[in-house]
Amino acid sequence: MFRNIDFDVAEREIVAIVGPSGCGKTTLLRCIDGLLPHDAGEIWVGNQRVEEPIAGVAMVFQHFGLFPWKTVFDNVAYGLRMAGASKAEVERKVPEFIKLVGLGGFETAFPYQMSGGMQQRCGLARALAVEPNVLLMDEPFAAVDAQTREILQFELLRIWDERPTAMIFVTHSIEEAVLLGHRVIVLKGRPSSIHETIVIDLPNPRTRATLREPRFAELREQVWGTLMREAREAEFVLER
Amino acid sequence: MTETSIGASSAVVAAPPATSRPAAFSGSFVPRLLTGLVILLSWEIVVRAVAPPYVAKPSTVVLAIPRVMTDPEFLRALGATLAAVTEGLAITIVAGTAIGLLMGRSAIVDRMIRVYINGFNALPMIIVLPLFSLWFGYSGAARIGTIIFAAIFAITMNVADGARSVPREFLEVARSFRSGRWRMLTDIVLPASMPYLLAGFRLAAGRALIGAVVAEFFLSIGGLGYYILYNSRAYHHNEAFVGVLLLAAFGVSFELLVNWCTRHFMPWYRRGA
Repeated sequence: MFRNIDFDVAEREIVAIVGPSGCGKTTLLRCIDGLLPHDAGEIWVGNQRVEEPIAGVAMVFQHFGLFPWKTVFDNVAYGLRMAGASKAEVERKVPEFIKLVGLGGFETAFPYQMSGGMQQRCGLARALAVEPNVLLMDEPFAAVDAQTREILQFELLRIWDERPTAMIFVTHSIEEAVLLGHRVIVLKGRPSSIHETIVIDLPNPRTRATLREPRFAELREQVWGTLMREAREAEFVLER
Repeated sequence: MTETSIGASSAVVAAPPATSRPAAFSGSFVPRLLTGLVILLSWEIVVRAVAPPYVAKPSTVVLAIPRVMTDPEFLRALGATLAAVTEGLAITIVAGTAIGLLMGRSAIVDRMIRVYINGFNALPMIIVLPLFSLWFGYSGAARIGTIIFAAIFAITMNVADGARSVPREFLEVARSFRSGRWRMLTDIVLPASMPYLLAGFRLAAGRALIGAVVAEFFLSIGGLGYYILYNSRAYHHNEAFVGVLLLAAFGVSFELLVNWCTRHFMPWYRRGA
């Protein structure tokens, strides 16, 4: 599946991963989360080797992965409870993270009552609530509409400013990758490998103004240029 | 029934449109009433025209209702049957769900017991009565045994199907958040299987009632089934029919109970995830 994929993520760094469809971005993330076994190579988080899901790493899913029978409160509390948090801890932390993602007042709502944007805020709060060192984002905004997506991108930047973690952000969107990432890794091919790593030297914190900077447009074009050939090739590959 | 429950369950989000429920209600109510009246009327006419006077007909059954409902013997019989069905169903739900969850989530357990579950499920329940009466005597225990035997497979097979079809995303999220296998079963698999459990309960409740009545027929122990049998044989057809009506009412109220539980405890169900 993969060949020669080797990269590090610093403690407070956002690494965005882009690549053509079917190059295994999501699979890579699942391996890092310990959800999928890898038969060669090693994945380390701090000084812990990943063989199965470990504490300190939390994932935000493209499909949100909220439990429909749980309220916002119970969904956000889920990770904490699985980590064995005390009742008092849950009562204290959960409202804090619900507020952080802007869902204050919706504690007793069920997922079916909420828009996609609200659902993903909830998914983000659930991941943040376990206070991970590494946040894995699997195309988290791919399932929401374009406007909501933009809102959520800046919400994520605001939240990351308040609680910085290492973050690996998989996305289809070059714009999103350049806006959020401190580095952008472009994957290619099957078996997939790192095509290029592009350092995004845009000033922090990133805001809406970032989108208007000439440097932003340059970097976007650079990533696009790198990706384009791969994307064109990937478009015409038949499934095996 | 379905239209009504969907309309009413949206109350959690916002008040449903004021017209939706009465409209659905009256929409099915009038035809329903009409069917009932036609059946009752034909029954009355046919019995009056051709049958001897002791044969039950709607007008005499209605007259018998107050008499029967205040008869202590009838109330004792009713209580005995209801208690047995409740107890049997309680045991059935707990045991049936537990076995179903294990079957659904463990290929080994499934391979070990599926063939037996299917086999027993296909047996006519009445076949076990001679055995149960030998094992437990002509007693309430034999009745409970029959109820459980009649009802449990409906729950087990449904829950097993539900547990097997839990969306993979849910299990992946649970694993990502480091849920243990046991927690996953109670925390994710069981609630995700609830709709299947309720569907199983619908079937099981009806079968439990049948099981109780059949056991009472066969074992001649006090209860609604025996009350009906005894009164039919004594040519008290009207009294027997009140018992039958009550059994039918149980069937309807089980249905209402399930619908109420669905709306109340699972507002999320039927709305997609």
